[in-house]
Formats: sequence, structure tokens, C-alpha cells
Amino acid sequence: MKKTVQRICLLFLIAVIFALFNICMYALFSRRLANNFSDTSQSKMIDVSKYLPHEKGSSLARIDSSLKLKTDLPVLDGAAALVPVYAAIIDNVYPVGSVTYEGGTFSDDNYYGENFADDSKMQYQNTVRGYRAIVDGTTDILFCAAPSTEQRSYAEEKGVTLTYVPIGLEAFVFFVNENNPINDITVSDIRRIYAGEITNWKTLGGADRIINPITRLAGSGSQSAMDSFMGDKKIGKKSPFAITGASIGFSFRYYMDGIVENDSVKMLSLNGVYPSEENIRNGTYPIIAQFYAIFREDNENPNIPILIDWILSDEGQAVIAESGYVRIQ
Amino acid sequence: MNDRLFLKLLIVTLTVCITLTFLHLAYAIYAYQHCSIIYFIGKELW
Repeated sequence: MKKTVQRICLLFLIAVIFALFNICMYALFSRRLANNFSDTSQSKMIDVSKYLPHEKGSSLARIDSSLKLKTDLPVLDGAAALVPVYAAIIDNVYPVGSVTYEGGTFSDDNYYGENFADDSKMQYQNTVRGYRAIVDGTTDILFCAAPSTEQRSYAEEKGVTLTYVPIGLEAFVFFVNENNPINDITVSDIRRIYAGEITNWKTLGGADRIINPITRLAGSGSQSAMDSFMGDKKIGKKSPFAITGASIGFSFRYYMDGIVENDSVKMLSLNGVYPSEENIRNGTYPIIAQFYAIFREDNENPNIPILIDWILSDEGQAVIAESGYVRIQ
Repeated sequence: MNDRLFLKLLIVTLTVCITLTFLHLAYAIYAYQHCSIIYFIGKELW
């Protein structure tokens, strides 16, 4: 009888140990694996339904545009963070009916969170696929941050020359959980964190917790900006225990502040300067990035230069500013 | 509980626990590659 009880206890103990392991993993990790815009773990970086051109109730900058294109409409595509910009350009300049959907109406019930038809003048492929599309010629103008080395190489391999026109300014920002006591950090310390030279927040006057420096998908706009920011330093390997620590991540200001709007995280000041719109405009924030309208040099669509000129005009720049970004001019 | 029954129960318990843990790990690895890091950091335990 005693042996039976011992054996039942052993089986029970095994089940409890596995249960505890899974509960800990859930609390520390799995519970946090979701998306800002959907209940499922799909690649949905933005709620595109809020930014559909020519739809009532869309959150788009609307001005009285003097430019109205009717034919030879360039196909516009871009990064998640710039959907509000290029959707607003279409809304202000393109005729109604230029944005079409598979099945006739918009749906985000698929992997990419949109169903633009092949003939639609608005597409949303985000940065990684978008760069391929512009090089391959399936998109006319791409709205993105600066390309990664691989993306430049891909264009070179295909013998394609891309023209990059800066159309707006944005701050590259670092953020932490709202409960992290750190509010300000130096540019040099950020580089040392990502290089693996600083591994505990205590070193920076914060809590005694391991730093979990989070990186992004290779080729994404923010990861390319991060690689460029690191300069000569390489991003180091982090400890496997970093997952239990307090994280730091990076993104672009408007994506965080205007699109995702998650109150559980906070942006850090860099060298004492907060990434506000004013500090981007006056140039005091240390990491200001340009974003671009990108097109193939050999693209013969006559409306591309017309549209680019309009984007750089007062009207186009007003759309950029009203979309939440900072004017280039 | 005889040895044979215990062994069977032990194998069943370990199989169920390891399978569920493996599935949890596989989900976590897949979901991490597709999740929002803003949400991930926002849900951090403090």
C-alpha cells in the first residue's frame, strides 16, 4: 500500500513539475506573444481598415488638393508605419475606385491583414516584401525607411537603380516597459547594451534586472535603422536568461505614438532629449531618420515625377504633417 | 499498484507532459517570430 502511494505521488510530482514549468513559461513569455491589432499571432503590424482611401471615417489627412490624377496612376506601397501617409496621398490625389479589393470589399481576415486586388493602386506589403516589389517592378512608388545592405544588394544584383527621395522626418526611438524606472539613456549606453557590454539595468542606475535587448526582423525598416545606428559596433549575442529580464526595444516614433498607442510602454529620452515632434523639427533629438518615396529610375510612368513634386510641395508636406510625421521642408 | 501498471502510467504521464510542453515551446517559438515587440514589452512582469 505504501509503495502504491509513493508511486502515485511520484506520478503526481512529475505532472506538477511539468505544469509549473509551463506556467512559468506562460507567465514570462507566451502570455506576451500577441499582436497589437489582432488576437492571433499573424504579421499584422497595423489596422489597415482605419486607413482606407475614399472611405468615410478613415483616419486620413484630408486637404483640398490641387493635383488630381486620372490616368497612369502609380501603384503605391510601403511600410506599416507609413500606411497613413501613402493612403492619404491616394485619398487626396487619386480618383474614387482606384483602390480595389479581392471580392469587392476590404477584409483583414488573412495572413497579411489586407486583401487589395492585383489592380489596386494601393498595396501594403510592408518593408521586406515592398523592397522586392519595387525592384521587381510590381510597385511604382515605395514609402519606406532607408534600405538594408541586403536590399541595396538585391537591387544591384537585378541591375536596377532606385531613386530615393526624402519626403519626411522621423525619430528612431527606444522604449521600455512603463514600470521600468529608467527614463533617459545616452546614445553610447544604447550601443553598449546592444553590443552586449552592459547586461544589467543596475549599471545604468535602474533595477537589478538583466537587460533583454530585443531586435527585429532582418530587413525591416527599424532593424535596418538599428544596424546603421550601431555603426562599427556589432549587435552581440544575448544571454539565454535575458528572456527573464527587462526588455528594451526600438521603433519609429509615430508608429509607437500615433499608430500602436500602447500605454504600457514608454519612449526613452536620448541624451536628455525626448523624441517629441518639436525636438525632431528643431534637430535636438539625436537620432532623426528620413523616410523616402522610392522608385525605379527606369520607370516611365509620367505621373511619378508629378506625384513626387506634389509630395514635396506645401500641399504634400501638409499631408505628411497632418498624418503625424515631420515635414522635410 | 504492480510494476507493470506503474510503468504504463509513468510512460503515459511522461508522454502527455512532454508532448504538451513541446507543443507549448513550438507555439512560443512560432508566435515570437510574429508578435509585436511593443505588446511583448508592454506585458512584461514588474
